Amino acid sequence: MYVYRLMLFLVFGGYLLSPLLMSGWGDPSAAWYRPFVIWGGLIALTLWLEQKRKLDER
Amino acid sequence: MSVELLGVLLLGGGYLGLLFLCASAVERGKVSIRVLRHPIVYTLALGVYASAWALYGSLEFAAEAGFGYLAYYLGAAGAFLLAPVLLVPIQRITRTYQLSSLADLFAFRFRSRWAGTLVTLISALAVLPLLGIQVQTLGGAVSLLTQGQAGSSVALVFCAPIAAFAILFGTRHAHARAQPDVLLSTLAVESVVKLAAMLALGGLALWLVFDGPASLQQWLEGPGLAAQVATTKLDPAHWRTLLLLFFAAAFLMPHLFHITFAENLSRHTLLQASWTLPLFLLLMALPVPLIWWAAQASQGDVPLAAYAAYFIDTHWWIGAIAFIGGLAAASSTMIVIALALSGMVLNHIVLVARPPEAHSDLYGWLLWLRRGLIVAVVVSGWLFDQWLKHSAVLTDLGLTAFVGIAQCLPGMLALLYWPGANRTGVVVGLLGGAIIWLWGLWLPLVTGVTLPPLPYALFLPPDSPLWYHTALLSLAVNILLLIVISLFTRTSEGERSAAEACSVDAVIRSKRLPLEAATAADFTPHLAQAIGDEAATREVARAMKALRLQPEERRPYALRRLRDRLQANLSGLMGPSVARDIVDRYLPYRHDDAPATDDIHFVESRLEAYRSRLTGLARELDGLRRHHRQTLAHLPLGLCVVGDDDEVVMWNQALSQLSGIGGDSVIGSRYDNLPAPWPTLLARVLGATQAPLYKQAVTLHGRDYFLTLHKAVLDGHDSRGGSVILVEDHTEMKWLEEELAHAARLASIGQLAAGVAHEIGNPITGISSLAQNLRYDTEDPALLETADQIQQLTQRVTRIVNSLVGFAHGGLPSAVLDAPVDLALISAEALHLINLARSGEDVTLINTCPEGIIVRGDGQRLTQVMVNLLSNARDACSAGDEIVISAGTGEHQAWWRVTDTGRGIAADVREHLFEPFVTTKAPGEGTGLGLSLAYQIVAEHQGKIEVASPPPDTPCGTAMTLWLPCHQQDASNAHAQDSHR
Repeated sequence: MYVYRLMLFLVFGGYLLSPLLMSGWGDPSAAWYRPFVIWGGLIALTLWLEQKRKLDER
Repeated sequence: MSVELLGVLLLGGGYLGLLFLCASAVERGKVSIRVLRHPIVYTLALGVYASAWALYGSLEFAAEAGFGYLAYYLGAAGAFLLAPVLLVPIQRITRTYQLSSLADLFAFRFRSRWAGTLVTLISALAVLPLLGIQVQTLGGAVSLLTQGQAGSSVALVFCAPIAAFAILFGTRHAHARAQPDVLLSTLAVESVVKLAAMLALGGLALWLVFDGPASLQQWLEGPGLAAQVATTKLDPAHWRTLLLLFFAAAFLMPHLFHITFAENLSRHTLLQASWTLPLFLLLMALPVPLIWWAAQASQGDVPLAAYAAYFIDTHWWIGAIAFIGGLAAASSTMIVIALALSGMVLNHIVLVARPPEAHSDLYGWLLWLRRGLIVAVVVSGWLFDQWLKHSAVLTDLGLTAFVGIAQCLPGMLALLYWPGANRTGVVVGLLGGAIIWLWGLWLPLVTGVTLPPLPYALFLPPDSPLWYHTALLSLAVNILLLIVISLFTRTSEGERSAAEACSVDAVIRSKRLPLEAATAADFTPHLAQAIGDEAATREVARAMKALRLQPEERRPYALRRLRDRLQANLSGLMGPSVARDIVDRYLPYRHDDAPATDDIHFVESRLEAYRSRLTGLARELDGLRRHHRQTLAHLPLGLCVVGDDDEVVMWNQALSQLSGIGGDSVIGSRYDNLPAPWPTLLARVLGATQAPLYKQAVTLHGRDYFLTLHKAVLDGHDSRGGSVILVEDHTEMKWLEEELAHAARLASIGQLAAGVAHEIGNPITGISSLAQNLRYDTEDPALLETADQIQQLTQRVTRIVNSLVGFAHGGLPSAVLDAPVDLALISAEALHLINLARSGEDVTLINTCPEGIIVRGDGQRLTQVMVNLLSNARDACSAGDEIVISAGTGEHQAWWRVTDTGRGIAADVREHLFEPFVTTKAPGEGTGLGLSLAYQIVAEHQGKIEVASPPPDTPCGTAMTLWLPCHQQDASNAHAQDSHR
C-alpha cells in the first residue's frame, strides 16, 4: 500500500496542478510543439518505470 | 447518381470490404499468431478510444478552448498510466469471474440485478450521443464530398455493413470472449488507418499551408498571434473536470471496457499499454493544432470539414483522406459499441426479464438474440442522429455521453477500494446522479426543450457552462448518496464475500463446503434442468477440460472448483446474475451442521498465482509462508493434515513416496476416499485417544510395512481446526529388532554349545586317556589298532567341538587382527564346518589352497567369512556343481577365492550385494546379513572383496575374491617385542 499511497499522491497532485501547465502551453511566444515534448517526456518516464517493474518481477 | 456520390460509395464500400477481407484472412489463419498476439496489435486495438470525436470533435473543441482539447487525450493517458493500480485489478476480477461488461462487474460485486440493469441503462443512454457523433460525422463527410447531394442516407448505407461485420466476426459463438484475434486485429488495422489519415492531414497542413515548422512558428508569432490570443482559455476548474470525465470514459465506456477487459489482453500487455497507448494518443493529438492553425490561416473557419472543403477544389484526395479516417474511427467505435452494448442488454435486461429455459438449442437462441440487439444498437445510433437532425454540436453530444458514463466512476472506485460499499448505496447513488444528468444534459439535448434548471447556483458560479454544472452536481450527489446510504444500511453476506474477491487488498477466505453432487458427472443432470441437456453437457465438459478433471472426480475441493468454473463460464454466456441464480439453485452446497472452515488449499493456490504481484511486507510474509511450507513438504517423515470435515489439507512428499499416492490427487479429497489401507489407518489414528499408534502392519504396493503414526490436534486460539498426522516407516527397525532377537538366540545357542563342548570334552579326554592306557596294557595288534582308532575318533570329536566353540565366539569383535593366519588351514576348517550341515551334500567342495600363504588377521573371523561365502555358493549351486577354494599371493596381498559353477548373481542384485537385508533367497531361508557381515569383517582386515559373476571365460557361476594383507614375519616379531616392553 505504500507504493499506492505515494502514487495516488503524485497523481492527485499532478491532477490539481495540471491547469498551470495548460496556461503555459497557450503562450504564443513559446515553441508550438512544447506541450507534446512534455507529454513525450512523461511517456519516456512511464516506459522507464515499466522496464523497472519488469526487472523487479523477474 | 452523381459521380461524387458514386465515388464516395466506392471509397467507403472499398474500405469496408477491405476490413471484411482482413478479418476473413485472420479467421482462416492466414496471418501468423505471432503477429496477431504482438503487443502492438493490442495497443492499436485500444486505439478504438480515438473515435470520430478524436478527428472531428477535437478540432471543434480546439477552436473553442485552444489546447484544452488535450484533456480528451490526457484523461485517457492518465487512466492507462494508473494501469497497475486501476486497470490490472479490474482485469483480474473480470478474468477470474468471466465478467465481460461493466454491468456484469457491478452485478457481481454488489450481488444485485438492479445494479447491473441500472448500469446497462445508463451506458445505453450515454452511448447514444456517442453513436450519434459517429453517424453525424460520417454523414457530414459524405455531404462534403458529394457537395451536399447526400449525407445521412449514405451513412445508413454504411451502417449496414458495420452491423454485418459485428454479427459475422463478433458473435460467431455464444460466449462473449470468442474470436478475440479477429476483432482485435481488425481494430488495429482501423487504428492504423485513422492514425495515418490524421498524420497525413497534419503533414499536409504543415507543408502545404505553411512551409514547414519554422514558417508555422513565424505565422504563430506574426499574423496568427491575434487569433491565438483571441482563443478562449479553458478555466482551470473546467479543465480538471474534463480530465476526470475523459479519465472515466477511457475504461468505463462500454466499448472501451470490452476491449480492455473482455478481450484476451494479458496483464503484461495491459501494463505495456500504460506507455504505448499514450504514445498512440500523442500521435493522434499532434496534428490537431496544425489542422486548426491551417484552417485559421486559410479561411478563418475551423472545422475539419471547412479545412477539407478548402482543399477539395484543388486536391480531392485530401477530402478522401479525411473521409477514410473518419470512416475508420466511426466504424471501429460502432462495431465495438454494438458488441459490448448488445451483451449488456442481453444479460441485464432481456435475460433478467425472461430467464433462459431448458431450450434444446440454448446457444442458438442466445446468438440470435444478440445479433438482433447488435442491429438495434447500430440502427439506434442512426435514428438518434436523425432525431437530432444534425442540430447538436459535436462537443455537446460528446460531453453528454462522457458525463453520463462518469456516473459509474464512484461505484467502480468503491468496488475496488471500499469493501464497505453496498448495493443500496450504489443503486441509490447511481439513480441520483443519473437523474441529475438526464435532467441537466440528456433530456434537453434530445428533446430540445429547456427544462427548469437545477439549483446549481447554490454551489457553483452561475456563468459556468451547463455540462460543468451538471457533471459536478451529479457526481457530488452520486458520491454522497453512495457513502451515506452504504454506511447506514446492512451489507449482505454475499456482498461481503464478493467485496473481498474484488477488493485490491482482498483477503479471500473461500469456505470448504460440501456439494450435493457427489461426482463431477453428477453436475450434468443437475445443470440440465436449467439450461437443457446439450448445453449442460457442453458446459460441464468445457469446465472439466479447463480444470483437467475426470467425470468420476469425487474430491470436494475439485468439485467446488468445478462449480466456480461453471458459474464463471455461464456468467460469460448469460451474465453473472442469471449464472449465479442457476448455480445456486441447481448445484447447491450441502449445509450440514458442521461449521464451514477456510479452504486453505484454495487460498494457497491463489497466493502462488499472484505471488509476483506482492510487494513489501506482504512479499516478506509470503516468503516466510513458502519457507514453512517447503519445510513441511520436504520433511523426511510422512506428514498429512486432515481437516475437521475429514478433507485432506496436506500430504507431503515423503508420504507420497511411501504411499505411492501423489499429493495433487489427494489434497482436497476426503480421507475415507483414499485407496486402502489409508482410510482405516487414518481413521484409527484420528479416533485414537492415546497416540501414537506403534508399528501398524500394512501392505503397500505389495510389500509389508510397519508404520508408526503420531497425531496432534490443531485446536489453538487462532487455529482453523483439524489434525496433523506424522507417519514414520519403522519397517527396517522392525527387521533389525527381529534380527537382534535371532542373533541373541544364536548367541545363547553358542554359549550352550560351549557348555556342551566343555561337558563333552571331559568324557572325551577320559576316553582318550583310556585308549592310551589300553595301548600300554596290551601287545595285541588288533587291540592296539582299536585303541588308535578310538584316539583318532576322539581327536576328531575334539576338533569338531573346538570348531563349534570357536565359531560361536567368532561373531564377537576381536582385538587381535594381526595374528598370522594360514589360509589353507582356515579353508579346511571352513570346509569342515560346512560339511556338518546336512544340505547340499550333492555339491562337490574342493580345496586347492596351497599351504604357506599366511595373511594377517583373526583366524576365527576369517573362517566365519569363508563359511558365509561357501554357504552362499552352495545355495546357488545345483546337484553336480562344484565349488573350488583357491588362493595365491601378490606383492603385499594374498588372494583367496571361492568359485562356483552355480546360477550366478543378477546384475541388479550385484549393485546392492553387500547391503544389509539384500537376499535372493526365499523368505525364512536367508536374512540378507551374511555378505554384509563378511564385507564388514574383510574391511576391518583392510582387505576387499571382488565379485565376478560369471567369472572371466566362464559361462556361468560366481567368483568371490578376497584380498587380504600378507603377514610380514619381521614386522610381526618387532611388533610383538614392542608390546612386551
